Amino acid sequence: MERRIYAYRCRSCGTAHYPFRMRCKGCGNLEFFEFDAEPLPTSGTLLTFTHVHNLPAEYEVERLGLGVVELEGGMRVTGQIDIDRPELGMPVNGSVEVVRHEPYEDYWGLVFRAVRRRT
Amino acid sequence: MRSVYVAGIGVTTFGRLEYPLAEIAAYPAMMAMKDAGLTEVEQVYVANMGGGRINHQTGLASAVVDTLSLTPAAAEVIENGPASGASALKQGVLAVGSGMYDVVLVTGAERMREVNNLDATDFIATLTHPLSEYVYGVTLPAHAAMFTRLYMAKYGVTERHLAMVAVKNQNQAMANEFAHLQQRITIEGILDSPEAMTNNPYVAEPLRFFDCCPVSDGGACLILVSEDAMAGVDRPWVRLAGVGQATDTHAVAERADPTELTAVRLAAERSFAMAGCGPADVDVAELHDAFTILEIAESEEAGFFGKGEGHLALEQGETCLGGSLPINVSGGLKGRGHPVGATGIAQAHEIVTQLRHEAGARQVDDAAIGFTCNFGGFGNNVVCLTFIKER
Repeated sequence: MERRIYAYRCRSCGTAHYPFRMRCKGCGNLEFFEFDAEPLPTSGTLLTFTHVHNLPAEYEVERLGLGVVELEGGMRVTGQIDIDRPELGMPVNGSVEVVRHEPYEDYWGLVFRAVRRRT
Repeated sequence: MRSVYVAGIGVTTFGRLEYPLAEIAAYPAMMAMKDAGLTEVEQVYVANMGGGRINHQTGLASAVVDTLSLTPAAAEVIENGPASGASALKQGVLAVGSGMYDVVLVTGAERMREVNNLDATDFIATLTHPLSEYVYGVTLPAHAAMFTRLYMAKYGVTERHLAMVAVKNQNQAMANEFAHLQQRITIEGILDSPEAMTNNPYVAEPLRFFDCCPVSDGGACLILVSEDAMAGVDRPWVRLAGVGQATDTHAVAERADPTELTAVRLAAERSFAMAGCGPADVDVAELHDAFTILEIAESEEAGFFGKGEGHLALEQGETCLGGSLPINVSGGLKGRGHPVGATGIAQAHEIVTQLRHEAGARQVDDAAIGFTCNFGGFGNNVVCLTFIKER
């Protein structure tokens, strides 16, 4: 099964949310579960990024890349980046991978890589 | 609402404290009661973020009120992340302002060095969004770093500006006997010399070690009273005149403009509106410089300088002691330290000390109006306070 990360679109007003909200920030309606889940787009633009060197204990890597990506359609998400020399505004593509290992559980999320240019 | 005055203040040394959390909260409370000459308290608020998680102690307010032999006074813990301190002061203002109580003791404490650095960073990171931030390994330095990179691109802030904030605040802490860091630093040592990358490595690019506040233990206390109760107190009359608070999205990536700290702007506006003054009236400010970039950005959002001009004011020396608006003369979070639950109250402690003209070598001349910004989450929940000296 292909893993995806989902946005939540309000059935009343169409506002899309990520992450999940119990109440729509567009129309504020008070009905429960009035959202349709839809997969987030995977391609977008790298808005900002960092490489973190003092890592949480679970991460056994030298440095961890993190970035904020504006996805096609305008929603923004935070994810990991696997890019040697990131640049502001570069096109990126995301896939859903294990982003955090804990002793009894793996957590999945978006990992973004540079869009390969034709040579 | 009734006027609310600061009758007494107290603070511990910040750094590593080898005594229990409840006593870190009680010690500055003892000092504040002595300072005010008050022995009876009706309500105690204890600002604390991590007692249950890192010190294995819950129900801290009950422990503190009993340690101080103040039972049967009312007591609660106030937790609002790194803005717990100013949030607890806000509750004190509501309690006295409403007329429910005349004497309220607000103390904040944190004991973070009981755990190692990784655990302390992880503890703070638990305030990020669990599914859209925390799982990725997002930490507060990571948020600040991504914010800094955008700020640099948009406004021309450089690593040199960040280092200037670090040098200003950490050296200012040398004039504060309660400050955690007592080590003079130079731009040469942390940025320009061949050893700078060793002295000052990257924590989260482009932020380096000296751009981040230390992990500290510490406590601070203010006693808030009504006008009637203040009449019996032989201390200068400093009024906690303005309280402003605002929240923003939990997930930072969702914000419409990622270089704006909207909650800081709104909290400052609301604080000034309640106090009946504006940013131009402020003589001395304590801003939440957990990361150097935040002092620059908050100085703009609070209205002291135009958007994108905070680093220019820094270059001109306007935010130094002796400048047009001294910021963080206590050393700030960067130099004084950042025991998260205590920080908002420690900021207020500094402002009251300044307005009483008792700050010694770091005194701002003729200080009469002071301002604090206590920044919770990454700008998710911000509380700003305005203090006015009356007599």
